[in-house]
Amino acid sequence: MFFHIVLERNMQLHPRHFGPHLRDKLVSKLIKDVEGTCSGRHGFVVAITGVEDVGKGLIREGTGYVTFPVKYQCVVFRPFKGEILEAVVTMVNKMGFFAEAGPVQIFVSNHLIPDDMEFQSGDVPNYTTSDGSVKIQKDSEVRLKIIGTRVDATEIFCIGTIKDDFLGVISDPGAAV
Amino acid sequence: MGSMEPFNRLVRLAARAFYDDISMKGDNQPKTSRGDNRGMAVVVLDALTRRQWVREEDLAKALKLHSKQLRRILRFFEEEKLVTRDHRKESAKGAKIYSAAAAAAGDGQSITKEGEEKVKMHTHSYCCLDYAQICDVVRYRIHRMKKKLKDELDSRNTIQHYICPNCKKRYSAFDALQLISYTDEYFHCENCNGELVAESDKLASEEMGDGDDNARKRRREKLKDMQQRIDEQLKPLQAQLNRVKDLPAPEFGSLQSWERANIGAFGTADPSAADSSRNPQGQYGTPMPYLGETKVEVALSGTGVKDEGAESGTNGNGLKVLPPWMIKQGMNLTKEQRGETSNSSNLDEKSEVKDEKKQDSKEDEKSIQDEYIKAYYEALRKRQDEEEAKRKIQQEGDTFASASHSERQVGMKSKREDDDEGVEWEEEQPAGNTAETYKLADLNVEAQESGDEEDEIDWEEG
Repeated sequence: MFFHIVLERNMQLHPRHFGPHLRDKLVSKLIKDVEGTCSGRHGFVVAITGVEDVGKGLIREGTGYVTFPVKYQCVVFRPFKGEILEAVVTMVNKMGFFAEAGPVQIFVSNHLIPDDMEFQSGDVPNYTTSDGSVKIQKDSEVRLKIIGTRVDATEIFCIGTIKDDFLGVISDPGAAV
Repeated sequence: MGSMEPFNRLVRLAARAFYDDISMKGDNQPKTSRGDNRGMAVVVLDALTRRQWVREEDLAKALKLHSKQLRRILRFFEEEKLVTRDHRKESAKGAKIYSAAAAAAGDGQSITKEGEEKVKMHTHSYCCLDYAQICDVVRYRIHRMKKKLKDELDSRNTIQHYICPNCKKRYSAFDALQLISYTDEYFHCENCNGELVAESDKLASEEMGDGDDNARKRRREKLKDMQQRIDEQLKPLQAQLNRVKDLPAPEFGSLQSWERANIGAFGTADPSAADSSRNPQGQYGTPMPYLGETKVEVALSGTGVKDEGAESGTNGNGLKVLPPWMIKQGMNLTKEQRGETSNSSNLDEKSEVKDEKKQDSKEDEKSIQDEYIKAYYEALRKRQDEEEAKRKIQQEGDTFASASHSERQVGMKSKREDDDEGVEWEEEQPAGNTAETYKLADLNVEAQESGDEEDEIDWEEG
């Protein structure tokens, strides 16, 4: 799920950046440091949409660096248990398949894949129905349901299932060719 | 007792369905076939359906079981929420009352007469079936069994686990990212690098034979078969639960209330004799002696209460000491109000009413202080004279080194004398006017300062 929230961060800036473009330097450093990171509490920071407030700088003794408290608005993505996501398959093996929904890695184990789909090894490993009408392989788009999340300090890993109503392949790259 | 029968039937069915193969052995006992006591749980539950509250020792005798073994079974049933237990310290008389109640309830036990009853207290345990809770427990247990099988069958929301066949380490699907090997795209153990096997597939391969990709289908068939068998076997229990659902569950209440009710209903036993040894809390023992009604007296006169406006020096119960400016001629005052007692010592010393003794003592103090001041000034003059004499000697000295050395010694000595004198003055000084003590201290400081200045001058000369 996506959220638009206000976060705060202490930014350290080198004295060489002090000048008329101090604020611009601070914002560009903030974007570089924060965008694409993940925190267990808020999820993945997708993009910074604006800087609300830059507080008074605090000079650090000995180094000359200045710490600025910065409040910024950002879009974050946090997956939840029970959420339905659309993801792209990145790897298929006999244990199941891995998929990516933006920055989130999702693993769907083979016993959470419908029973009528069987693993086919070969040049392009895939899960195929007995009649061959549906195929899950690398770069396939699937709709899946998250059944569990593991939240670490720097990453979020999910377990998904396609063994439920209205879940499964939504676009097959092999069919387009 | 007619309403009890469906519940008793439910208990017997539940016992045979869930507890017939449970072996109640201690942890340190070997699980051999010789001492196997499987099915004992069913026997105990059956026996409890024929009784209400029963003492565990009596039940053990009736079932020809060792009391320790029975206690283990009952503890297990208490954890399973089928049985309610009560532990109570009681004498032989208390036990006799219980047996009377049990006989009244139709247990067929007669009251044994003992000539001498021991006063020694023993802890006795009692137990009975909790029918209301048994219904809930059985219903919940069946629901959980069916739900677990259904979830296994649907494989919904179940997180896959993987086992390393070599080192037997278990991993969950959450570890997939760390375990995946990009060479062969399989999961490998972090310890021994062995290829991991999905737990359900491993079980299927053990039970069915080869653990190929179709093992899931075999497992699914096995689960379906199990589900059918469970539905079949639990049909009578389910039917009995439905029958019992609308009936009010029999309740025996607590052990004490049950005893009271049954003794009241029992004609031959003397209830007054039984209840005579009970205290109001329903426990057996010596009752508290009657000491009459408690009377509470509240003193509202306020004599013992200290006024808020009263000074800290005066007692709360005594009269307030009047200040001298309030005392006028013709007033009828007590000695306390005049301030003639020991309490009046806290009054201001500047008041017009003064004792002669106080005046004498003050005059003595002043004269002593004057003498001290004179002595102090004399000592200062002497010291200055000595220092001047020493300075002359130093100037007459041959070398600067010897002079400076002697000078240092002199300085040290003078400082020491200062300290000593200061201490002496402080010790001998009586508690008098503070202003004069400050004067002395100031003088002391001045003297030290002057000494320091002289030292500095000497160093400059050198």
